[in-house]
Amino acid sequence: MAPTTLPRTDVLIIGGGWTGLTAAYELAHAGQRCVILERGEHRHDATSFAGPEEHDEMKYAIRHHHMVDVTKETLTFRNDRGQQALPMRRLGSFLPGSGLGGAGIHWNGQLWRALPSDLEMRTHYENRYGSQFIPEDLSVQDWGVTYDELEPHYDFFEQICGAAGYAGNLQGERRDGGNVFEGPRSQDYPNPAMKQPISNTLFGRSAESMGLHPFPIPSANVTREYENPYGAKLHPCTYCGFCERFGCGYFAKADPIICVYDRVKEHENFEIRFESQVLRIEKSEDGQTATGALYLGPDGREYFQPADTICMNAYALWNVHLMLVSGLGKPYDPKTRTGVVGRNYAYQTIASVDAFFDDSVITNPFMGAGALGVVVDDYNGDNFDHSDLGFVGGGYIACKQYHGRPIGYQPVPEGTPRWGLEWKRAVRENYGHHGDIVVHGSSMPTPENYLDLDPTWTDAFGRPLLRMTFNFPDNDRRMSDYVMHRAVEIAENMEHVRSVKSTNLAAVGSNYNIVPYQTTHNTGGAVIGTDPATSAVNRYGQMWDHHNVFVFGACLFPQNLGYNPTGPLMGLAYWTLHHMKNDYLPNPRPLMDA
Amino acid sequence: MPAEYSRRAVLGQIALGGALATAGPAGHAFAALDDRPWFFLTDNEARWLAAIVDVFIPADEYPSATQAGVVDYIDFQMATHYGKGARLYLQEPFSQGAPEQGYQAPCPPAELLRRGIAAALAEGDVTAQDAAGRERYVQAMSEAQGNIDDSDVPVGTFFTELLSLTNEGCFADPIYMGNNAYAGWEMVGFPGAHAYYLSFVDKHNRPFDKPPMGIAHGEYPHTFPRIVGGS
Amino acid sequence: MTPLSKITAVVVLTVGSFAAVSAGAQDYSETPGIDALVANLDSERALFNARVEAPVDDDLLEAGRLVAMGGAEFGGSGMACFTCHGANGRGDGSAAFPRLAGLPGWYMYKQLMDYASGTRPNQIMTGIAQKLTEREMEAVATYYAAIDAPFRDVTSDIAPDVLQWGGMLGAVGSAEKGIPACVNCHGPSGTGNPPSVPYLAGQYATYMEHQLMLWREGTRDNDPMNVMSAIADKMSDEDMRAVSEYYARVRAQEDIEDAADLGPTGLAPEIEPLAETLDVEAD
Repeated sequence: MAPTTLPRTDVLIIGGGWTGLTAAYELAHAGQRCVILERGEHRHDATSFAGPEEHDEMKYAIRHHHMVDVTKETLTFRNDRGQQALPMRRLGSFLPGSGLGGAGIHWNGQLWRALPSDLEMRTHYENRYGSQFIPEDLSVQDWGVTYDELEPHYDFFEQICGAAGYAGNLQGERRDGGNVFEGPRSQDYPNPAMKQPISNTLFGRSAESMGLHPFPIPSANVTREYENPYGAKLHPCTYCGFCERFGCGYFAKADPIICVYDRVKEHENFEIRFESQVLRIEKSEDGQTATGALYLGPDGREYFQPADTICMNAYALWNVHLMLVSGLGKPYDPKTRTGVVGRNYAYQTIASVDAFFDDSVITNPFMGAGALGVVVDDYNGDNFDHSDLGFVGGGYIACKQYHGRPIGYQPVPEGTPRWGLEWKRAVRENYGHHGDIVVHGSSMPTPENYLDLDPTWTDAFGRPLLRMTFNFPDNDRRMSDYVMHRAVEIAENMEHVRSVKSTNLAAVGSNYNIVPYQTTHNTGGAVIGTDPATSAVNRYGQMWDHHNVFVFGACLFPQNLGYNPTGPLMGLAYWTLHHMKNDYLPNPRPLMDA
Repeated sequence: MPAEYSRRAVLGQIALGGALATAGPAGHAFAALDDRPWFFLTDNEARWLAAIVDVFIPADEYPSATQAGVVDYIDFQMATHYGKGARLYLQEPFSQGAPEQGYQAPCPPAELLRRGIAAALAEGDVTAQDAAGRERYVQAMSEAQGNIDDSDVPVGTFFTELLSLTNEGCFADPIYMGNNAYAGWEMVGFPGAHAYYLSFVDKHNRPFDKPPMGIAHGEYPHTFPRIVGGS
Repeated sequence: MTPLSKITAVVVLTVGSFAAVSAGAQDYSETPGIDALVANLDSERALFNARVEAPVDDDLLEAGRLVAMGGAEFGGSGMACFTCHGANGRGDGSAAFPRLAGLPGWYMYKQLMDYASGTRPNQIMTGIAQKLTEREMEAVATYYAAIDAPFRDVTSDIAPDVLQWGGMLGAVGSAEKGIPACVNCHGPSGTGNPPSVPYLAGQYATYMEHQLMLWREGTRDNDPMNVMSAIADKMSDEDMRAVSEYYARVRAQEDIEDAADLGPTGLAPEIEPLAETLDVEAD
């Protein structure tokens, strides 16, 4: 049966997460009639995430009930082009969301900004260390948009979230106790930093005694009663320990449902359709613009929704997938190193350091929150001298207490067997006496890490699966090893520490493994820039090839930061929306010359 | 109820022959279920699982896996959505792949366990061995590669599945029929699902020895377990 | 999924009357002895509920009992707690004074501290609390936490739809108004989450409704970070009444079983449809 063509709308938004709902809010209030197509179901913090039922580790943390169902959409994966890619048959290394709010309901709430030098990475490194410094096999590039341009948008999103923290750089004034490496903030965080448990406090004390600069992780776990600029009312965090992978029934973790959706859902220009799976974006005959989207409705029938402007607001990987199956932009080809869609896929380079305390330190690990931590940024970005290190990039080192859920939280010292009496004793003796330190490292793009379409497997809708080809670049392995050793030094210097264990997931000789959870920070594939040969969208998030298509999310990152992506990608989202409202929509056209 | 359905009898046989011999018959997790048939397992499968999971989590001053209800947990998981392949992409073709590519078994977990246990039993009955023999058996299984003899069951995937299920059965909320009487939670000191720590998170080094409370604590009996994984 | 499927509790609403438990407020003969209190502390859960800082022992309970009767080593408050809160902590039946029996010890201790400091202003309690030493506050809080008193019947007439709305607010909150569910923090069936979160189930409706109004107007703001004010701010008078009347009628399963042990109780019929939606996640 031919798809039913629906009445035209001004703006079609694909995906109802952080960026999609925010786009709808801003554009609806700018007089644009917006329709969101969301593949998942309606849900709400009050009715869907209330404890104690939400506090079900099995259902949500282990069986992934808030996340995308891989029987409908998944991808295939291989470490390199010589290998046969096989389907990701279960979720593991990363956990994209589905349903109202997207992955924004099960995030941790760590709310960062990019460093000024991160956004001009190639230029910055070449200026500081010379034009030959960046290894040749890294396709590192500038973002095409600067910190000063993004600052008002970072700031606004922090107000939307009721961010808790302490500014380390207030209008150029460095302040101890905050991140002294950060770019200047126009104003302080709207809410005070979180309370800290003993493990994080000991970490901060150790780092400070070593001359480093510890500060509380910037948090979207709200610390007091707060009303955001859209009028959403948030409540203080209870440190319940069910944050990442769970929705927050306390209205305490900023999420797209309570912060944005509730404030726009009644607007006359706003409409959202649930269980509406976009299958393809259609192009005009000349290919210069997109005309709308073909989607599968909740009744199992196909619809065509025409629109003047299309916003792509799916999770990073699915945005790229939709471009590839729709023929938007030129697909990347690693053999010729041409094309842009699928290019510069990157991830996050994670190492962990476990500090085991003597029994006098009682950590109560179940008293946690997603962004509850003390962190040093001394080894992130280019905050340290890379001259003799042989790599670019870095990572933050954080001691976090984000949960003590007993299936997922079983820290055991070096040399403990994986089962048996000795394992059992180690689990029980260390559960309440452990400091959880992470090295959260940047991820550099290479010509060999990319996304394309799989030749063999299909999704539930008959489309080819996305194919991910990824392994850790040598640069990132060296980076991770270096920063991990700095983390070990801090851990060994902590009071009451008996032993320290370190694990580099990107160790030399190992391969990226899609099974153990690392982070839901997949980036790149449709990157932002100023050169159509190396970016899918221009510096405003507008596709070079189809000027009425705007792209949002972490797929825009030319390389991944040493930070969690939500803050940086929402800064970009508000930047794009600002230019859509003020420049594009009054006069639709390419905003930059190709 | 026919005698062969007695869970206590099945698990007790294991206990008497193995690691629990000195601790007496296995304290079976859910007495209320004792006369009910397994949801999925056969007695032989249950016996085999009991032998293996008690190597993973043997009894000491805290309960063993079978005492914590792990076999009941696995039985229930295999009978319901997870075992049947919910949230598992099962499109052909299948290929073993590299460990980095994760689960590539050509069937859902329930089928994997059924075929795996059958293949393992065909090699010899580990339940007839003493505790040391069982430990050696599990160690060998953890190091094996390829498929279990004469089967299409990848031994690595099978082993990983057994180990994860055992861990979950010990530490998941009791609504899933493991973690009997909060055996796992008591052991580590996890207070459970009812969580409100705003006044305590920054009270350093203060013990918080609240006894565990599960999602359904005191509210409805364990005979109404949670079925999860349908979507 | 219907919203009701998130309800975790077997909810039983009581409407009838407890003939056996209508003692007057000043009947000291109902004062529980130490033996009875120790018997009430037979589970880890009860012990945890009762403890403030020091481990619960006979000395502490005896000291608490003295304070409750108006005396103590340093003279106590001069007012017997029993006078208003009932011989066994059940309140005075007028519902102006809350039920204390079985509230978390740490919570009651903190309230006494807040009354004394003026953080929780109250004409009656401030003066009383200011006369108590910290040790006396701890003792009397432990004492009341250890009491296991039967609940009074709830006799006021209430429209079924109001109760139903109250039950909805309690179990799932309101997405429309941005009100989180009470069960998030107050535990399944509102039975409390020691040490810091008091029970709602069986507390007096008038008391709870009044407290919600105090939270909303900001007169009461002594919980950590003003959680309750933020919630009460979103509630209408009708919401407050509904949720208070609802919880006044809720009993935890274990309390129902205990009550059943007392003999004929006049418990209202169980509301089965609620209970039946709970068990199996049907998505």
